[in-house]
Amino acid sequence: MREYQNIFTQVQVAAPDYPGVPIGDEEYNRTSGIIHNHWLGKLGDAQIGPIYLGTLGVFALIAGALAFFIIGMNMFASVNWDPVQFVRQLFWLALEPPPPEYGLTIPPLNDGGWWLIVGALLTLSIMLWWARTFRISRNLGMSNYLAWAFGAAILLYLVLGFIRPILMGSWAEAVPFGVFPHLDWTAAFSLRYGNLFYNPFHMLSIAFLYGSAVLFAMHGATILATSRYGADREIDQITDRGTAAERGALFWRWCMGFNASMESIHRWGWWFAVLTVLTGAIGILLTGTVVENWYLWGMKHGIVPAYPPIEATPVIDPMIGGAQ
Amino acid sequence: MNAFTMKRFASVLLLGTALLMGCEAPPPESVQRGYRGTGMEALYNPETLQALVNANQVPAAIPAVSSEGPKAADIYQNVEVLGHLSVGEFTRLMAAITQWVSPDQGCNYCHVAGEGFEEDTLYTKKVARVMIAMTQNANENWDAHVGGAGVTCYTCHRGNNVPEAVWTIGVPPRHAENMGHTMQNVAHQESSVYTSLPIDPFTPYLLEDGVARAQGDSALPQGHDASIQSTEHIYSLMMHYSDALGVNCTHCHNSRAFGSWEESNSERVKAWHGQQMVKEMNNAYINPTNDWLPDHRQGPLGDAQKVNCATCHQGAYQPLLGANMLADYPNLGALAPAPAPDAAPEVLEEAAPAAMEMETSSLEQGDTAGEAH
Amino acid sequence: MSMLSFEKKYRVRGGTLIGGDLFDFWIGPFWVGFFGVTTAFFAFLGTGLLIYGAAIGPTWNVWQISIAPPDLSYGLGMAPLREGGLWQIITICAVGAFGSWALRQVEISRKLGMGLHIPFAFSFAIFAYITLVIIRPVLLGAWGHGFPYGILSHLDWVSNVGYQFLHFHYNPAHMIAVTFFFTTALALSMHGSLILMATDPREGETVKTGEHENTFFRDSIGYSVGALGIHRVGVFVAISAAFWSAVCIVISGPFWTRGWPEWWNWWLELPVWY
Repeated sequence: MREYQNIFTQVQVAAPDYPGVPIGDEEYNRTSGIIHNHWLGKLGDAQIGPIYLGTLGVFALIAGALAFFIIGMNMFASVNWDPVQFVRQLFWLALEPPPPEYGLTIPPLNDGGWWLIVGALLTLSIMLWWARTFRISRNLGMSNYLAWAFGAAILLYLVLGFIRPILMGSWAEAVPFGVFPHLDWTAAFSLRYGNLFYNPFHMLSIAFLYGSAVLFAMHGATILATSRYGADREIDQITDRGTAAERGALFWRWCMGFNASMESIHRWGWWFAVLTVLTGAIGILLTGTVVENWYLWGMKHGIVPAYPPIEATPVIDPMIGGAQ
Repeated sequence: MNAFTMKRFASVLLLGTALLMGCEAPPPESVQRGYRGTGMEALYNPETLQALVNANQVPAAIPAVSSEGPKAADIYQNVEVLGHLSVGEFTRLMAAITQWVSPDQGCNYCHVAGEGFEEDTLYTKKVARVMIAMTQNANENWDAHVGGAGVTCYTCHRGNNVPEAVWTIGVPPRHAENMGHTMQNVAHQESSVYTSLPIDPFTPYLLEDGVARAQGDSALPQGHDASIQSTEHIYSLMMHYSDALGVNCTHCHNSRAFGSWEESNSERVKAWHGQQMVKEMNNAYINPTNDWLPDHRQGPLGDAQKVNCATCHQGAYQPLLGANMLADYPNLGALAPAPAPDAAPEVLEEAAPAAMEMETSSLEQGDTAGEAH
Repeated sequence: MSMLSFEKKYRVRGGTLIGGDLFDFWIGPFWVGFFGVTTAFFAFLGTGLLIYGAAIGPTWNVWQISIAPPDLSYGLGMAPLREGGLWQIITICAVGAFGSWALRQVEISRKLGMGLHIPFAFSFAIFAYITLVIIRPVLLGAWGHGFPYGILSHLDWVSNVGYQFLHFHYNPAHMIAVTFFFTTALALSMHGSLILMATDPREGETVKTGEHENTFFRDSIGYSVGALGIHRVGVFVAISAAFWSAVCIVISGPFWTRGWPEWWNWWLELPVWY
């Protein structure tokens, strides 16, 4: 006998257009278009739109689109304007930061200059979008948790592309724009600085990343498992605890000996996600500036496991022998 | 189900099959190369391995001849690097070289039909002279790398006029005018082993004096000069090493500490000597032949086709899977004794000064390398 | 004692898969159940063996302790205790403990009249572990392909197995898994934020409603998945992260032995443009 698991909505209510909570004077910034998508409604809410397009958002989109366009044009130029090669090679193409010889000076356009411009435009776009999240929550009388969480992610982005390169005295340390190239950068970064697995903040960041996956699996599953009692109405369950929240909490209490509440689980989740990027940012910041080689740092601090040697005679550096 | 679901299912199936096209069937052969649990392992596809064995068959050796009797220099004219061989040995080696380098064209690849064999008309003959000296030098002075099996012309040429794997100084692919090109982020480059890493890692490390050391050797910063870019160049070079030898990074390294020699295998020392050897080959022997080379033997910048790891290894962790051809051709095992001062003809002088200078220093290097063992 | 204020009425009998009333009781806040007993057995034994492995090893430094799998030469057989056999027994204990935990979650869910989504989700994490220490080693023909049990040593294993494929970032399943992991962190931060923004609003404001939640995201990005939908999405992305991680490692070795960048040649060599 199959039980309904509440994964996809079986009976969809065709709701009327909801134009959004009234926000008074700011409402003119909301677009007018609203559509409903039946297939979207099988998973979540069916309504698409309206969107709030204030000054901040419009300029953010312009700056972002410009950045995206410049990246694309540089990639297009690198394949000699061949559209077939552009599609074929897309994942390999990039807009690279300046080479190391320029330090922190402004390089020529074609030698990292475009990268700097894109970086500035993208940062502007992100900062404007960030300000937008403050404004929207203020319009709605809500607090700023999302803006602060977004801020933590922006900090990581700025550390990678701006703050750390400045501390290192070289734009060349920053990340290129490109699918595979940014992965090459990641590998090269770990290779250059002695294996990032030994960076304790990298360890913390991964713990929080995996922990976020564990937590969202736990929380999402708990809500779905008690959705028959109305658990998805989390605000009501928080202010007026019902059997949904009680069962959810008791599940975990009986399972692992402690539990969260319907409100505090969201704090757990918020912190795990935010600490992922925060500790990550610290780990990146310390690399190359304070620590040159994380494996050797690990040796210094006694965390490196010792393995029995592979070969009978120890291997020594051939350059030490006197050969050039 | 309805038509939409069927179409979606079919497209998923199609995509899945396309992706599955790359699949190999388990189990592969696996070889443990480090302490248990460290993950240092070599994985081999049995079919690929068999193909490699098939491709690395050694041709039968020509029956050996005596080293007694008159020397080649006494009987033949214009003999420079093989004068100390007996006539019988000389002729045998010529036959072998023909087999190894020009089986289709025969003797006429280097010698013009109707002319005396002593004529240096063809560039191939002049290059061959340098090649023979290069081979002898490798066997005599680079024991630290080729010791145990040695090298012959066949190791690289395998019956081809030019080895299948050679390289020339990189040029960027066609790109927009007035734009620079970073010489990386190009798709489908064998030289970067299909990554978007730099497409010419050979020029800095197998030709110029780049030192392939990315990591600093202290926990705290002490001025180690290496950028992300230079690290990517070294990574690209290391990808070439792996691809050329049909091995992975753990063949030489424990990746938790790539730079640490205590954490590495002795293969890494061998590889280091290999890098120095190849650098010498390219600078002292290959590049000086460039003036003689026709256009189709040069790269887009007009430089000679050079040696890298793949030239000898051709996908095997040891060329010819470690078969020792040198034992049957000991004349290639050492350079000729120093020529008489007045007898060196003009042709050899072009290649010889650099070669002989390098020979001297590499003799020292060879000694040091011997000690390091 | 250790009961929440509303807990007593929920403590009823029933929901068990095995054992009936025999183990249907609580110790403090923990519900026991048959699978609680088996979990405790496997967990204590496994942990004890880990401690024993540390004792016969070179160090008590918690970062350096490592219990390694057997040499590849033992194949799929049992190795001597000190030569990897300990690792093998600990692995059996781990599988037993994790499986017991999941089945205990089933029993607790049934007792509380809940759906089985939690043990279903947890099974994907267990699947990822079993892929790493059982499925992949079996496909490769030796238990020695499992990862060592040690804080830093298991990271050395990850590094080396990754570099066996020259540049593991190019593994397409790895890319999908990483994307799901980052998306999970993003979605969790967004969902956590949204609930807290509504229930812990600005100074002087009242608690907000579901309409405010929807309006926030519609204003921000033009779409709100809704209070129920976000939990479906969250479970999906989190489970997918674990699933594709398992896929990415099981194909590396058993189904692909070359460098991962080379895999992409199928795209570059499509007849339409090559």
